[in-house]
Amino acid sequence: MLKYLLRRILVTIPVLITITIIIFGLTEIAPGDVADFFISPEMEMSAEQMDAVRARFGLDQPAPVRYINWLGNVVQGDFGFRFTDGRPVRDVIFRRFGATILLIGTALTIGIVIGIPLGVFTGLRQYSFWDFSLTGISFLGISTPAFVTGILALMVFSITLGWFPSGGMRPVDRDPTLGTTIHHLILPSLVLSLNYIASFMRYMRFSMLEVIRSDYITTAHSKGISRTRVTWRHTVPNAILPVITVVGLSIPNLVVGAVFTETIFSWPGMGTLYLDAVLGRDVPLLMGINLMIALFVLVANILTDVAYAVVDPRIRYD
Amino acid sequence: MNKKAIGFLLLAVFLLAFSPAMAQDEGGGGGGTLIGAFDVGPGGAPQIIPFMDTAGRTWLSKIWSPLISWNEDMSALTPQLATEWSANEDSTVWTFNLREGVLWHDGEAFTADDVVFSLELALNPEAATSFPAFSQLDPADVVSITAIDDFTVEVTLAEPNPRLPFFMIFAWVLPEHALNDINPADYQNLDWFFTNPIGTGPFMHDEFVADQFWALVPNPNYWNGAPRLDRLINRYFEDETSAVLALESGEINFTFTSGDIALRLQDEGNYQTFSGPSGVTNYFIFNLRNSAFQDERVRQAFLYAIDRQAIAETVLQGTAQVVPCISPFPAMWPDSSELNDYAYNPELAQQLLEEAGYDTSGNFEISTYYNNQFHNDALAAQQAFLSQIGVDVTPLAQDVPTYNSYFYTGEGWDISYRGVGVNVGNFPFAFYEPGGQPTVDGEPLQGELFPELQEMIDAARVEADSDVYLSLLQDICQFQNEHALEGYMWTATRFGTGSNNLTDFYWFPAAGGGPYEDHAELWAVSED
Repeated sequence: MLKYLLRRILVTIPVLITITIIIFGLTEIAPGDVADFFISPEMEMSAEQMDAVRARFGLDQPAPVRYINWLGNVVQGDFGFRFTDGRPVRDVIFRRFGATILLIGTALTIGIVIGIPLGVFTGLRQYSFWDFSLTGISFLGISTPAFVTGILALMVFSITLGWFPSGGMRPVDRDPTLGTTIHHLILPSLVLSLNYIASFMRYMRFSMLEVIRSDYITTAHSKGISRTRVTWRHTVPNAILPVITVVGLSIPNLVVGAVFTETIFSWPGMGTLYLDAVLGRDVPLLMGINLMIALFVLVANILTDVAYAVVDPRIRYD
Repeated sequence: MNKKAIGFLLLAVFLLAFSPAMAQDEGGGGGGTLIGAFDVGPGGAPQIIPFMDTAGRTWLSKIWSPLISWNEDMSALTPQLATEWSANEDSTVWTFNLREGVLWHDGEAFTADDVVFSLELALNPEAATSFPAFSQLDPADVVSITAIDDFTVEVTLAEPNPRLPFFMIFAWVLPEHALNDINPADYQNLDWFFTNPIGTGPFMHDEFVADQFWALVPNPNYWNGAPRLDRLINRYFEDETSAVLALESGEINFTFTSGDIALRLQDEGNYQTFSGPSGVTNYFIFNLRNSAFQDERVRQAFLYAIDRQAIAETVLQGTAQVVPCISPFPAMWPDSSELNDYAYNPELAQQLLEEAGYDTSGNFEISTYYNNQFHNDALAAQQAFLSQIGVDVTPLAQDVPTYNSYFYTGEGWDISYRGVGVNVGNFPFAFYEPGGQPTVDGEPLQGELFPELQEMIDAARVEADSDVYLSLLQDICQFQNEHALEGYMWTATRFGTGSNNLTDFYWFPAAGGGPYEDHAELWAVSED
């Protein structure tokens, strides 16, 4: 296993570099640059002034030179400065990353804790009242976009009932505490978790139905093993394997963020940061975020493989 | 511990955690805490610093003061740190008399050296600030900036600039004693602005939490009187919808609001509405590099074909006023008898198109960077009106960098629906001059030079007499109107909405956030 992990980590390095080259290339192809972003369409700016803005950000140098400079700096831990406000990219990303981990990590946890048991529950009761009801609700959860559920939740729980703040991560008129953080976190994380709950429930239900019909489960039943034991010792452990893949694929969301939820709840996470970076043609920030996302995806893939081996003793990587 | 005790403990923790906020500061003038979304909307720019400000000046002016600002409704300039200003005969030497007795937030005295330091920093190419662009001051044209005495600064220019004071609204004054050691190249990356900034504005820095809010406390030494508020907080929002929801939930006291939202909230009766002219003219600019638009009858046909008045009154719910030329303010227009109102006349429009030999089989994209309901509705209406005379157009919304990367080159677009901020002091002469914009062919934005217009622009640029200057702007307006140089549509009213418990609060939708005189020292929030 250790050898396998080392091999996977080594392969990650050239993959990461390739990804950064592709992303850098895409930012070059995209129309407009940060100088174009800085022109207020409602004001005027001469060619000389635009050239001065480009020179300020080093955009007067050829693209390969800029990329190599960026890579050299990143290797030394310097991610550069954000074009649009001059803040260090590393600080901005880590700050936003913390907020996103908190939001999406909570939502993902809620999704796993509620979605998977519900999937087991409905899988064991195919075509029952509960199966139909929860399946219907899950379809609603999957198909309703976060900006609809988010605004509805805010209108009901924040504006009408006044139970939760309308957004932000902390109160602005006093110091934050664990309690205030949880208070601000509840609504956005619940809204975001709806999709995870629905999605994990659907996958788990489907997987349960497949496993339940397997020969070894029939055999277990025919041997007189109790229904509970068959479910928890044989059905669920086997049914959960594909769901682990789905959960693993959701892990990169921890760094990608959730644009709509973050926007509606003014949650300063990675999703809105990424959007700002794209709209502002903020190359250092875009490169920094993409590097982080790529790293996360690769690590998540490795972790998923490891989780497989832990859950399923048949899987060996050596 | 029994279950009951655990239950009480949990309840106590819950109540402590979620109890309502307690007023924190006992200092200030007892005017309460005002929380606003000051950087929502077109005039906002969150977390911006002086001299890097493309907008966001409403908030910046709470901490830092400029030399001069607009007055309350942007109809004239008003003194800030400069109390008077005057020029020599050819407007090459400007003298600014400064306010005496002003203290920085740390108690140091403000002097002319601070102004010299600030202007030199703002014009330093190494600092690469946005000041030269916004002030239209080429650093090479500034011969010297000199402190004549502690409260007099003299700016000497290589070229006459009769409108210099209008651009000194962008001249924030920074404390030399706090910043004189900085490397200009590091200016944009300074933490100082967010950790311990010092200004001369009505409020002082208290707490900045990146991406979330910036809190200020009153400056007891403010030259116009100590503010009444105990605390002023600028809360950041990703978009207007989130800010409006926060306003409706009572968490904030003020935000910019779009016309439809502002009117809805106004009808509810629980809010105060602040409104004013945006100072931005929305118009079609035709790319005359395309021969289809070179004939002025085609451009006139576009104006006759679109019922601008009806769109302004119905689609835009009366939140926009039709304009005759690029200038949005009536003071810049000639007498109405000299203007063509291009009243809705589709028959005449069709006739003009036929006379001009316009080929109606083509389709033109109308590119725009606008992407909000107001302009989407307006564009849909314009498209519908044009289709009635057989002109087929398709709106194309782009993000700002994409739009600018095409638009300013003069290539890759035929018609653009856009806005330009125009006022008496800041007229976009450069749009109409060769080399004035970064077009690929060096021609004016539209691709064609109008010699008669150029003559008026040349005269206006150097005219020191304000009456003669205004008359020249009116002549330009008349020329633009007569030849339908562009398709002038309307200027929008912009809105802000505040809670009913705000007292003496003032907000104006100035382009870029001003700066303008809002007497923030008088603002207060009542307990109701």
